[in-house]
Amino acid sequence: MTHMAIPAPVKTSAKQGSGLRVGQRAFVFSAMTPIMAYMLFFSLLPIVWAVTLGFFDYSPIRAGSGFLGLGGANPFVGLDNYRAMFAETQPAHVFRLAVVNTFTFALIVLPLNLAITLPLAVLIESIRDRLKGLFRAIYFLPTISSAVAVAVMWGYLYHPQQGLLKTLIELVGLTPPKAWLTDPRAVYFGVPLAMIAVIIAYVWQDFGYNLVIFIAALQGIPHEIRDAARVDGANPWQEFWSITLPLLRPTLLFVCVLTMLSSLQVFVIFQVMTNGGPRNQTTPLVMSIYENAFRYQNMGWAAAIAMVLLMIILAFTLIQFRLLRTDWEY
Amino acid sequence: MKPRLTLLTWVIALLVAACGGPATTAAPSGEKVTLRLWSHQNAAFQAGNDAIIAKFMEQNPNIEVTYETFEYDLFIQTLQTSMPAGTEADVIEMFGTWVCSYAEGGRLMEMPTDVMTYEQAEGIYYQAPLDGYYCGDKLYGLPQEFNLENGGALVNPALFEAHGVAYPPKWSTFSDLVADAAKMSEFDGETMTHAGFNYVTGDGLPFAVLAGILQQGGSYFADDGRHFNFDTPETRNIIQLLVDMAQKDKVVDPVLFNNDANWVGDSFFAGNVGIGFVGSWAAGEGRINFPDMKFDYVVIPPYFGSEQRFAADSGWGKVVSVNTKHPKEAWMLAKFMAAEQESALAWNTNTSTIPAMKALVESPDKVLEAAPWLKATFDLLPHGQYIGDLTDRDQLFYEIIYPHVLDAMQGVSSVDEAAQAIHTEANAIVDAK
Repeated sequence: MTHMAIPAPVKTSAKQGSGLRVGQRAFVFSAMTPIMAYMLFFSLLPIVWAVTLGFFDYSPIRAGSGFLGLGGANPFVGLDNYRAMFAETQPAHVFRLAVVNTFTFALIVLPLNLAITLPLAVLIESIRDRLKGLFRAIYFLPTISSAVAVAVMWGYLYHPQQGLLKTLIELVGLTPPKAWLTDPRAVYFGVPLAMIAVIIAYVWQDFGYNLVIFIAALQGIPHEIRDAARVDGANPWQEFWSITLPLLRPTLLFVCVLTMLSSLQVFVIFQVMTNGGPRNQTTPLVMSIYENAFRYQNMGWAAAIAMVLLMIILAFTLIQFRLLRTDWEY
Repeated sequence: MKPRLTLLTWVIALLVAACGGPATTAAPSGEKVTLRLWSHQNAAFQAGNDAIIAKFMEQNPNIEVTYETFEYDLFIQTLQTSMPAGTEADVIEMFGTWVCSYAEGGRLMEMPTDVMTYEQAEGIYYQAPLDGYYCGDKLYGLPQEFNLENGGALVNPALFEAHGVAYPPKWSTFSDLVADAAKMSEFDGETMTHAGFNYVTGDGLPFAVLAGILQQGGSYFADDGRHFNFDTPETRNIIQLLVDMAQKDKVVDPVLFNNDANWVGDSFFAGNVGIGFVGSWAAGEGRINFPDMKFDYVVIPPYFGSEQRFAADSGWGKVVSVNTKHPKEAWMLAKFMAAEQESALAWNTNTSTIPAMKALVESPDKVLEAAPWLKATFDLLPHGQYIGDLTDRDQLFYEIIYPHVLDAMQGVSSVDEAAQAIHTEANAIVDAK
């Protein structure tokens, strides 16, 4: 019988437990402090301020009487800003419309983006190496373009009198819409034409980003797994459906979350292309926040809307994490 | 732990110090005082202010003026974020219609009576621009511009001549204008390519509605002077007129020409509009941006009857921040810029704006030399009344009147529905405040 001598655990102090020497700790501390201070001042405090403002009827053009101008002319109103979202007033109506618009936009953009990027990534991944880089660069170009420039360019394409789209549609003998971006009566399958037009422009600009991520993920899938599937007699469709797609789940989660986040926070392209019109059919929540905060000086109301947007984003993100999470790696 | 806390405290203290605004210390008498002046970014406005500031500093060598400008949207945001922090400029070029909101919010300094009283100001300025700076029986600044968005229009002689329409126009009634405009509309199939009369803007429609009500002898205010009264025959009549011009006379297609597409200034100077309903300031901008285009600015007849009556916004002027450390010097600068006749002349000629100062209109030669198209508007000025306290002017104009009238013009809602919706929603703003 052999006895193994198990060494007694060495007692370490809390300081020794970090495993860092004094000099290392000083380095970590000095490296972390600026970024933590930055986060504190420019992320955490603004969030706390926004949450606080949501409980006040606050306008920056009024000097309040209390701490940080809260109180007096900027009174505490409790949950009134949130209750007002359900009232029959014009601002509440615009808010509810903005919620619908934001959902409509995000829920169309996400599947449309995936439907384009995933097959395209598989297609690009299947061609010769020399051409891969070229296609990747071409498709990625719109992503690095300025959103304002893209919006202006698409605005010209959609121009009702001199637009390229009008000319092309007429060339093939069809009748183009009277106005892509300004006709409130043009609605297709319950979605305003102006919204559809903005979605097309947005997806055109945005899809290159997801494409590159998918290509990278496809390259990361071990060849052995695919080879084994082929040996077992799987055809290309079965290989994609049963091997590639499941192994892309972590990437899908990442792409879904990021696309959803950016779609829910979209602003620039709407502001430049439609300015929220016609009839607020393309007013997203972020534009509503901006307009109320800086145009109408209702910062308390705008802060409450921002909190709603935060909750929506949080909910969507959690749902996506729940649906697409994986507990394995390859 | 203690050294860490100390270090963290120092870092935070340094950051707080860095985030703080520039300290403006009160200078003992005789020492140099630095004033800051803010305005929105516009080449003509900057040129106007620069000229006056240079002269002011020459006459007051102990005062240094730092002039800072901001792009228009950023200017509004900067005002709103700097005022709570107390870092705004000493003197601010502010649009008259905003003044009472800021003044009642405690952000602006009341004008000391030894600088000027309201009664004295009444003798110098037109009522419409002045009253934008007069809130709750207190004067909060001095106007420089009479902002006129109603009563005049840009006209394109080339389109008049191309369609055989007499030029210069001689309109006795508003129907004459509509008849001429209808001749100038052009179509490519169903698509309107040229609008005879483009009046579909965020400012144009609300101002037309208010003027239409006044010209029929009505009022858009309820008896209490705070609430609105838009559910009236006068409101319906003017909306009906605006709708008929689009739908029956086809002088404009409101789907293709509106505030978001083919905006009146852009479409006019692109040569696609015969008559463009916009303030005279657009002519000044057009002269700079489109120097080769021939155009005029003319008076349009009243919508109803023969008497011109209209509501006018107060225009740009100078106010003093309540946070200034040098109120005496700040008011000296504001008064020098807005109340000295030579300064007012320099500012109005540089900016091509209608003077708020009566003397410049009564002896108009120098102003007209710089901006001849303003002549048409001078006869209108006595007919303008201050627009009044609209509670939230921008919300009333851009979120309520403009979209509902546009809906009626586009056939999305009826005239009755538009008038009722404007009435209900406008009063909801008042009740919410």
